[in-house]
Amino acid sequence: MKRLLIRALAVIGLAPARLLASQARLVEELRAGSAAWKAKAGEAIARARSLEAELKDQKKLADRAKNAAEKSTMRDAAVTDLKDRLATAERELVMAREHLMAIEVKLDILEGAANVLDVRTRTAIGKQPRQTGAPV
Amino acid sequence: MVSLVLTGRNDGYGGDFTARFFRTLSFNHQQLSARGIAYELVFVEWAPSPGRPLLLEQLLEAVPEIDPRLFTWYVVDPQYHDALSLNPRLEYLEFLAKNVGVRRARGRFILTSNCDVCLGRHILDVFARGELETGVLYRAPRHDLKQGLERAGIDWNMLEDPAHLAGPAHRLKPPYMGSATGDFVLLDRETFHAIRGFNEVYRVARIGIDRNLLVKALSAGLTIADIGGPVYHINHEGSYRLQPDAYAGRENEAPWGDRRWHSGGVSYMNPDSWGLADAPIRQIGNRRWHLDFAWDAIPPLVNLRRIVLPVARSGGPPPGHYVRKK
Repeated sequence: MKRLLIRALAVIGLAPARLLASQARLVEELRAGSAAWKAKAGEAIARARSLEAELKDQKKLADRAKNAAEKSTMRDAAVTDLKDRLATAERELVMAREHLMAIEVKLDILEGAANVLDVRTRTAIGKQPRQTGAPV
Repeated sequence: MVSLVLTGRNDGYGGDFTARFFRTLSFNHQQLSARGIAYELVFVEWAPSPGRPLLLEQLLEAVPEIDPRLFTWYVVDPQYHDALSLNPRLEYLEFLAKNVGVRRARGRFILTSNCDVCLGRHILDVFARGELETGVLYRAPRHDLKQGLERAGIDWNMLEDPAHLAGPAHRLKPPYMGSATGDFVLLDRETFHAIRGFNEVYRVARIGIDRNLLVKALSAGLTIADIGGPVYHINHEGSYRLQPDAYAGRENEAPWGDRRWHSGGVSYMNPDSWGLADAPIRQIGNRRWHLDFAWDAIPPLVNLRRIVLPVARSGGPPPGHYVRKK
């Protein structure tokens, strides 16, 4: 019966006061809730914006770090390359010096042999009788 | 058995060579015999001066206590010196002479030394205990003693008294263990023959040839070891040790050759005929031989391919180093 009455009133645009009051409370609650959510949404949006900005900064830092790392890697490679070339040059220098020593020793022997042959030749020539070629 | 290879000449080198030699030999003989060490003396009398008695003739009289059967004596015709030398100022081809002895030695181990070098106690003990290894070139540091000490007789008190040292004792530094090398080189005969003795290709200097053997040894993969005790050398006039700078600035006039040659940086390959192997040999007495002169026994004046670079052995020391000629 009560329901039937509420329906009949609703047809003519009326509602029980108690119902209106509770619905008004509900609307208020919904409004308050909505505002709270709006506020929360606002905070979230602000936070998102702030994080976005931070992300941009971090990205810039990461890019800078990456560039620096790439440069460092290139430097390390260059240093390694220089060290390798230095080691090769040192080995070649040692080898060159060793060959030079052997050559100098051989030159000593040649010089000695030349001196000995010189002495022997002079001695041999000195022993030969002098010949004028004049007929006797 | 140990073959003790010595060489000398009857020209009175360094003052009273003969007396020094006989006193030293007498001492070494006493010590070797006292320990029961079997040895032979292989003596190479190199290019003796004509008109003077041979050392051999004097020795038997001067040191009668030594059994002549312990000696094997080689007299090398004087013509060999002039035919082999590449330096007219070189007075003595010490290491070619030693090679003559090394080639003909019979002992399982061969010790090349000099006539005025006394063996120390530790060395004698090592011989007595038979602790020598093959493939190891043994070296001993030399202690130089003051000139004239030996005239009063040689004994352990005289040799071992630190007050008698003429200077700081030589120290042997690895890997070469050089310094007065010619006074003590001990190696088994098989290995000594495998490396063909001292350098006979470079005949321009006498000095440094002993050190060059050490380069050859390392290059051949041998170990060089300090035997652990010294030999003793009594200083005398004419000794290189007393006057190493006597010919500074005129090295080409030195009687031992130019010391600055690269003895530490090159190696060599002696020919098959090393040690005058092709010399005609004539017996002149019981275990006495004369190497007669023959040109066939003389290697070429120049054989540059026999001067080679030493080999750097893996894990071993670098075989040589460059020395600038000043």
